[in-house]
Amino acid sequence: MTAQARSTRPLATLALGLLAGLALGPAPAAAQRAESCIGISMEVTGPLANQGLMLRIAIETALDRINGAGGVLGRPLRLVIYDDVGEPARAVDNARRIGERDNCVVMFGGARTPNAIALREPLAEMGLPWIGAISAGTGVIEHPNGRNEWMFRVSMKDRWVTEYLVQQAKARSQNGKIAFVYEGTAWGQGALPDIEAAARRNGVALAGRETFNIGDQDMSAQMIRLRDAGVDTVVLWAVDRESANMLRSMDRIGWKPKIVSAWGLTTAFARAVGPLADGIMVAGTFNWNGPLSPEAQAALDAMKAKFPDRIRTTADLEQPSAMANAWDAIFILAEALKIAGAYDRTKLRDAMFRVNYTGIVADYRPAFIRGNQERMDAVLPEAYKLQAFHNGMLMPIEATPYGMRN
Amino acid sequence: MEAVTQYLLTGLSVGSVYAMVGLGFYVMWTAAKAVNFNFGDIFMLGAVLTVVAMDQGIPLLPAAVLAVVVAAIAAAAIERGFVRPFNQEANAIGWMLTTIAVGTMIESATTALFGSNPRGLPSPLAESPIRLGGAGIYPQELLLPVALVLVAVGLELFYRRTMLGRAMRAVAWNRTAAGLVGIDADRITLIAFGLAGGLGAMAGVLIGPVVQASSTMGGVIGLKGFMVAIIAGIANARGVVIAGVLYGVSEKFIEGYLSTAARDAIGFTLMVLLLLLFPQGLFGRKEIKKV
Repeated sequence: MTAQARSTRPLATLALGLLAGLALGPAPAAAQRAESCIGISMEVTGPLANQGLMLRIAIETALDRINGAGGVLGRPLRLVIYDDVGEPARAVDNARRIGERDNCVVMFGGARTPNAIALREPLAEMGLPWIGAISAGTGVIEHPNGRNEWMFRVSMKDRWVTEYLVQQAKARSQNGKIAFVYEGTAWGQGALPDIEAAARRNGVALAGRETFNIGDQDMSAQMIRLRDAGVDTVVLWAVDRESANMLRSMDRIGWKPKIVSAWGLTTAFARAVGPLADGIMVAGTFNWNGPLSPEAQAALDAMKAKFPDRIRTTADLEQPSAMANAWDAIFILAEALKIAGAYDRTKLRDAMFRVNYTGIVADYRPAFIRGNQERMDAVLPEAYKLQAFHNGMLMPIEATPYGMRN
Repeated sequence: MEAVTQYLLTGLSVGSVYAMVGLGFYVMWTAAKAVNFNFGDIFMLGAVLTVVAMDQGIPLLPAAVLAVVVAAIAAAAIERGFVRPFNQEANAIGWMLTTIAVGTMIESATTALFGSNPRGLPSPLAESPIRLGGAGIYPQELLLPVALVLVAVGLELFYRRTMLGRAMRAVAWNRTAAGLVGIDADRITLIAFGLAGGLGAMAGVLIGPVVQASSTMGGVIGLKGFMVAIIAGIANARGVVIAGVLYGVSEKFIEGYLSTAARDAIGFTLMVLLLLLFPQGLFGRKEIKKV
C-alpha cells in the first residue's frame, strides 16, 4: 500500500460516510423524544364549527378520564387545539406547529377530508402519527403511493360506506330504481366513482345521478328528473343545509322516496326540517340512543357532567358516530403509548399496530395491520349500522316505528 | 308541463328574492354612488335575528319586524362607519374593501354567536305546499312575489310622493346641488342605506322559513342580487325587478334542461355577454355629463 493510498483512505471513508449520510437523510424528528401532548387541528370556527365542538367534547372528556387515572406512563396527556376553519392550508400550518414547535407525540384531525389529504406529506416528513375520527375520504388512509405509515383512522371509510349504502339501498328498494344524489364538493364528487363501482359490484344500474352546489336553496329540477325516472330509493351524500333544502324540494313535488344517507346528516338537519326527516336512514358507527354498554353509558354521563350547558340529552350529541369514534381513538392512543413505553413518535407508530382494544364502537383486534394501508382504518364495515331520524332524534332503526331492521 | 310549472313557480320565488336584494343595491347606489358589497349579510341578519327573537319567546310577526328594524339600523351604521369615511373624494373606492371587511366580521360573529348549524325559522306558511298536479309551492314562497310588487310600488310612490323620497332623488341627481338647497345629503344617504337594509332583511325573513336561517345564507344571494342590479342597470328600479325575476326563472330552466352543476357558470357568462352588449345594463341609460 503506498503512502498516497494510506493518506487518501481516511478521506475516502469520510466521503463514503457523507454519501451514506446524504442517502439516509437527516435523522427524523420522530427519533426525538416528544411531549405528552395531543395536537389537534380542527374546525373551531367557520361553517363546520359544530363538528369541531363535538370532537372537542368527546376528546376532552376521554382525556379527563385517562388523566384522572394517572395519565399515561406517569404523565398527563395534554390537548393543544388549533383552528383550521376547515381550510387545508391552515391544517398544514397547524400540523407544522404541532410537529415542530409543540413537538407533540401525536396529532388528531378534524372533520374535512381535503384537510387530512393535505397532511399526507407533511406528516411523513415530520414522522408525526395522525389519528382521524371523522374525515372519511378513502385517500386519507389509502395513499396513492401505497406507503401510508403515519395516518391512522378510527372512523368510517368512504369506499366501504358506498358499498354499504348501495347494499342497503338495494335491500330496501321495491322497484330496483336507485339514484345517487351528491353535493358538488370534493367529498361528494370523490364518492361518485366509488358509488358507481359499488353499484356495478352489486348488480345495480343507477337510475339517476344528480348533484347540487353548496348554498343551493332549491333542487326541484333534480328531484323532478329522479321522480320521473321512477326512482324509489335515493343514496344521499350531502350535509345538513342542502339536504334540508332537497327535502323541501321533494315535498313541493309530492315525492317521498326512501333515503339512505352517508353520515353528513346530523340532528341539526332533523331539527331544521321537522317531520320531513322522519324515516331517513343514515349510516353510522354508533348510536347513543340505543342500549348502551356500561362503558358507553359512563362516557355519556361524563360528557354530560363535563359540558352540562352543551350536552343535556343524547339529542345534543350532534355527531353521534364521530363522538364515539373520537372516544375510542383516545383510548386506542393511550393503549399504544403504554405499549410504546415512551413518548416517542416512531415507537408510538409501531405500537399502534400492536393494539388490541375493546371500545364502544367496535372490538379492535387488532386495531391496525402493518403493511396493509387499507387496514390503517380501525372501524371495519361490520361495525357500520343504519340509524334513522324520528322526532328530531337519530335512533337505531330498530327503535323507530318504521318497521326497519339493520 | 308539470316541470315547466315547477320551474316557473320556484323561479318566481327565487327571482323575487334576487330582485328585492337588487332593489337594496339600487337604493344604496342612487343615494351614495356606493353600495355595501356584503349586503348579503344584511339579508342573512333578517332571518337569523328573527330566529333569535323567537328564541326569546317573541311571536313570529313581531320578531320579524324587530329583526328587519335591527338589520336596517345595522345597515345604516355600516354606511356611517364603513362607507361614508371612505367615500369622501371623487372616485374613492376604499368603501369596497371596508364593506367587504365588515361583512366578513358580521358573518364570523354570527357563526360564533348563532352557531354554525342552520336553524329552521318556523312559519305556518311553510308547513305544507300547495300542489298543482306534480308541481308545488309553499304559501310562504308565494309571499315573495307579492312582497316584491308591494315594495316596488311602494318605492316608486316613496320616491315620487314623499318629501324624503324627493330629497333622495335630489341627492342621487346632484349631491352638491342638493346640499345647496338645504338637503342634508349625508343624512339622506344614511337613511337610504337603512331603507336598503330593511329591504334586504325583509327578503331574508320571507325566504328563511323555506331555506332555514344560517350565518352563511347570504353570500350567494348577495352576489346574485348585485348581479341582477348590474344586468338591469343599477339606477333603474323597474329594471332591477324585471331582471331579478327573469334571472331566477332562467336559473330554474337552466337547471331543468341544461345542467345543474353549470347553472352558475352559465348565468355568470350570460351576465358578461349582456354587459358587453349593454354596458349600461339592459334598462340603464347612458349618463351624460356636461363639461
